[in-house]
Amino acid sequence: MSDLNLIFLIIISLINLSLGTFVFLAGKKGATTSSFFKLVIVITIWSILNYLADEPSQAPNALFWNKATIAAGFIQCIAALYFILVFPEETRKKISPLWKFSFFVYGSVALISLITNLIVRDVEYFEWGTNIVGGKLYFLYFPLILFAVGAIIFLLIKKYKEFKEEKKKQIGYILIGAIIYLLTVIPLSVILPGITGSNEFAKFSPYAWVFFIFFTTLAITRYHLFGIEVILTEILVVVIGLLLIIQIFTTPSLSWKVANGVIFVLFCVFGYLLIRATLREIKIRREIEKIDKAKSEFISIASHQLKTPLTAVKGYISMILEGTYGQISEKMRKPLANVYQSNERLIKLVNDLLNLSKLEAGKIEFTPEPISLKELISGIIEELKINAEKKGLYLKIAETEKLLPEVTVDREKLRQVILNIVDNAIKYTQKGGVTIELEKINNEEKIKISDTGEGMTKEEIDSLFQMFSRATAGTQLHSAGAGLGLHVAKRFIEMHGGKIWAESPGKGKGSAFFILLPIKLEEKLLKTKIKKVIKEGADIF
Amino acid sequence: MSKKILLIEDEKVLSEMYVDKLTEVGFKVISTIEAKEGLELTKKERPDLIILDLLLPQENGIVFLTWLKKESEISSIPVVIFSNFDEPETRKKAFKLGAKAYLIKTNYTPREMVEIIRDYLR
Repeated sequence: MSDLNLIFLIIISLINLSLGTFVFLAGKKGATTSSFFKLVIVITIWSILNYLADEPSQAPNALFWNKATIAAGFIQCIAALYFILVFPEETRKKISPLWKFSFFVYGSVALISLITNLIVRDVEYFEWGTNIVGGKLYFLYFPLILFAVGAIIFLLIKKYKEFKEEKKKQIGYILIGAIIYLLTVIPLSVILPGITGSNEFAKFSPYAWVFFIFFTTLAITRYHLFGIEVILTEILVVVIGLLLIIQIFTTPSLSWKVANGVIFVLFCVFGYLLIRATLREIKIRREIEKIDKAKSEFISIASHQLKTPLTAVKGYISMILEGTYGQISEKMRKPLANVYQSNERLIKLVNDLLNLSKLEAGKIEFTPEPISLKELISGIIEELKINAEKKGLYLKIAETEKLLPEVTVDREKLRQVILNIVDNAIKYTQKGGVTIELEKINNEEKIKISDTGEGMTKEEIDSLFQMFSRATAGTQLHSAGAGLGLHVAKRFIEMHGGKIWAESPGKGKGSAFFILLPIKLEEKLLKTKIKKVIKEGADIF
Repeated sequence: MSKKILLIEDEKVLSEMYVDKLTEVGFKVISTIEAKEGLELTKKERPDLIILDLLLPQENGIVFLTWLKKESEISSIPVVIFSNFDEPETRKKAFKLGAKAYLIKTNYTPREMVEIIRDYLR
């Protein structure tokens, strides 16, 4: 056991010291790096003292080493607290008097435990090492340690909430290191002693600091700050590597030592390859993310830039046609109306393309909420009333007696879908109007949008929801067809686990569109977090 | 008395166009391209309604709404958002800040816009 302890001491202290030195040399000079370096030194000294306290050859001095270990433990609390207080600033920060006072308390207790018998009165010797016999002030030990641990976690969580972006990530890393440290230390020095009644395993607890130091190194150097997979792979490789080294030292026969050595070397090679592959994958993924982001930014900006002139054309042509700028001849009216229609088509195309590209990139946000369909539809009717009235058409919602339950949907998406269908219905209807009906069927609600318009043939219905298709009747009468709109609509409805389809008794007999939506969204669909949205331009608000 | 409209719109061409229409139908129109000036004009001129674009130089339309909400004497003036920036989060924010309507410019001709704002002027 003692051998194992020594191996651990050497390897882990070497790792800790090299990480500390690396940060000190490579990092920016300042309060964070220097306080981190000091923390590493204190931890290393503490580990060595802890080792000596249990080392059989040191038995005559065991009392002193135990006292020194406890003292170093308190100093370590100061070093760790100070580091957390300073992080991530590089300038020396003013430490509040309250903290200064607590440092003073810890320092005093450290001194007391080193030179008096008040904390450590005596030691008991066991096969595996030594145990402390507490003195009069020993009861202070655990509360003080607990306070320090609690304060560190509290400060980390507080800072994690306060900071943003990169600094938040840095603190997050330290927090992960601290949590892994605690998860290792608590079983070793609390749970196992509780079960076995001996402190045999507690002597390994100083080595758990390696996790904290490792993650803090990552945080300070910002190395792989965005790729936790690499780090976890690296940890796995290092831990298995360590176990293999221990295996080499602890197996008795030479042939086993050689075999283990070979396995270790092979493992190192494969471990290296594994890490490299993971790194490469992350690099590629990041590139793709960058391209995706650039693409959606491009689309957003492009569509924006496009929309301004389109608005101007639409506005001016409509005003010219209305006679705002003087009477226009009948001869002029037709070409101007054509310009207007073409522009309308362009506007619709830009909108559809924008939606489609968001869908394709998986960057459509899906935010379901319970809403009343009737309310939503009333809003849409309000919006499109002008268009219908202009053509002398009615646009109404059929009254139902029963109150329909709320449906969990993405309000904005459903609004777009219904708006699109109703808008089309108005366009393709010359006489009569558009009626919207709502009905509850079992666990679903059905929206029926029927018009008294041109109607469609079966072939037209079949191709309606495909990308780029248009009912031929529509083409003859209007420039702006269904285009991409219905395809996008179908994708939106499918997001909800619903269905959308169209029916028509034939040419000239009107058409009806149906949307079937589940009242309660399937658990699965709720959880499918459609890729995190990079909201185009939303950041500016 | 003709009603007074404040138009906050930074695109010169669009601004001119809307001013033309609004004046034609008998409104008194004041216009600006900036949120800050918009607020000053609101205080000075006390318009009956504000037409607000969202993407503006310097402070955007949402910022304008937050300013307006803080000034108790002018906070009740109805604001109709008229923008090509269509994004659900922003829409929500705008309504939360008291906007009467959130309209997408490309969906409306100036005449349709006038019809809508008349509803809010009653």
